[in-house]
Amino acid sequence: MSLASSEQSLIPAEKQATADFEQTFKADHRRRHRNAALWRVALNVLGIVLFVIVWELTPRYSSWINEVLFPPPSQVFRTFIPMFLSGEILENIRVSLVRAASGFAVALVLGIAAGVITARVKALQYLAEPLLHGFRSIPAIALIPLCILWFGIGEVSKIALIAWGAFFPLWITTFIGVRDVNPIYLRSAACLGAGRVTTLFLVVLPAALPFILTGIRQALSISLVVLVAAEMSGASSGIAHMMSEGHQLFRVDIMFIGLVVLGTFGFIVDRLFVAVARRLFPWYQITS
Amino acid sequence: MNTASPLIAASRVSQIYAGRDGSPTWALRDVSLQIGRGEFVCLIGPSGCGKTTLLHLVAGFVTPTSGTVSFAGKPIAGPGPERVVVFQEYALFNWMTARQNVEFGLRTRGLGRKERRELALGALERVNLRHAADRYPHELSGGMRQRVAVARALVVEPEVLLMDEPFAAVDAMTRQALQEDLLRLWQEIGISVIFVTHNVDEAAFLAQRVIVMGAHPGNIRADLAIDAPHPRDRGSAEFAGLYAVVADALATHTRRAS
Ligand SMILES: Nc1ncnc2c1ncn2[C@@H]1O[C@H](COP(=O)(O)OP(=O)(O)OP(=O)(O)O)[C@@H](O)[C@H]1O
Ligand SMILES: [Mg+2]
Repeated sequence: MSLASSEQSLIPAEKQATADFEQTFKADHRRRHRNAALWRVALNVLGIVLFVIVWELTPRYSSWINEVLFPPPSQVFRTFIPMFLSGEILENIRVSLVRAASGFAVALVLGIAAGVITARVKALQYLAEPLLHGFRSIPAIALIPLCILWFGIGEVSKIALIAWGAFFPLWITTFIGVRDVNPIYLRSAACLGAGRVTTLFLVVLPAALPFILTGIRQALSISLVVLVAAEMSGASSGIAHMMSEGHQLFRVDIMFIGLVVLGTFGFIVDRLFVAVARRLFPWYQITS
Repeated sequence: MNTASPLIAASRVSQIYAGRDGSPTWALRDVSLQIGRGEFVCLIGPSGCGKTTLLHLVAGFVTPTSGTVSFAGKPIAGPGPERVVVFQEYALFNWMTARQNVEFGLRTRGLGRKERRELALGALERVNLRHAADRYPHELSGGMRQRVAVARALVVEPEVLLMDEPFAAVDAMTRQALQEDLLRLWQEIGISVIFVTHNVDEAAFLAQRVIVMGAHPGNIRADLAIDAPHPRDRGSAEFAGLYAVVADALATHTRRAS
């Protein structure tokens, strides 16, 4: 029952020795962790460097690759610098980022709300089920022409498309997570006197969180896909628009810049997601 | 046993569950039972005899198919903080630390943050877990988790603690420590306890009253009063006697039915 009593019986010298040992153990543990993290980052960087080297050398030393169609990184970089300094790239990134974030934010609120409501109210579930599942199977990209017809090629149509695409994974994962909350949690909450709102925010949503986070992650990557598709089929700014301009000018290097930006973008968003989720929900082990 | 005004009264309660094909299972049939304030009652019986069902009826999670269950003279309409359940499985919210779990039941009481925190730490102190207040459930051992569950239940000051095989999943040594702690708390606070078990030793060690149940249909087969004072010494001849009485009742009453 009380482990404390054994500790008290130790003589001071032994206690000191234990404290020292624990100190070293802790330092060792930290060092091992730091080394493991450094090792990982080093290999990450090495991977990128190797890729760039192969990419640089391939067009130069092979007869079957046309440098115009497959420019090496040095040339892409040379194109990149002036575009970066003029602010053109940053502006395009900003525009794309705002679109993706707005569409995603709308989907986040609506998707989670719809998921919770359909999971908690049976009648609404049955009412909405066929419609939601039907709409869910339409790829957002198929709606682009219609969206342009209705909303034009402005921001609204892009945000709406992204929101549409990101809504469904959020809805379905929230729905499943909330529906499958362990009834023991709900019963515990009920007999401790919790009301509906307390139960929703402190029990149901946290219990459904692993599912919701999966949905958020899917929705983030869908947002990016829809963003690119929407920008390519009618826009006057944005990363994907920059790429389709590169296409028209037959400038593969510009298209490559767009690809690198998109790749980096997606990678950073995913990392950020993992970091934020770890920070906010320390009890939940997210695999990266 | 204050039978004049029982805290909990079940009268002719039946609970029928529909099987997959709609065929009825009598989880409980015509069960009548009265439990007084401050009593420590153990429900014992073979698997499927309706112990959990009876406990859930008192908790208010289910309403009986027929008959009534009342608490302090009023029919039970739903779960409430005067009747808190400690579950067999770990029902701690694993997204909250031990302290936050204990604080949960205090949130609806309009207490300040600081006050809530102090009450929660006090409750953890009572189960000797103040040092683990900031750990998450996955960082606690099975026995520690059940202690937190007990603290979380007691902090809302229930009138009865409903425990469904709360210590079944821990090792024998931890289990004895938990039993001793529970008895201490029960004696300090003076609440009623309904404790489901299918362990004869546990019933003989804890209960003032052992209710023996049988299955098919689930009902009460025997109601034994155990007058021996607490704490009971497991090595003593008296304890061996108690154990024999409970084991005997369980054997005779449940064999006859099947
Ligand atoms: N939700 C349910 N739906 C259908 N049948 C149920 C349900 N809950 C319990 N039963 C049935 O009711 C009977 C009594 O179940 P109960 O869980 O109360 O038994 P128990 O005494 O707690 O058993 P154990 O010792 O195994 O926990 C069993 O036959 C069980 O199959
Ligand atoms: Mg049971």
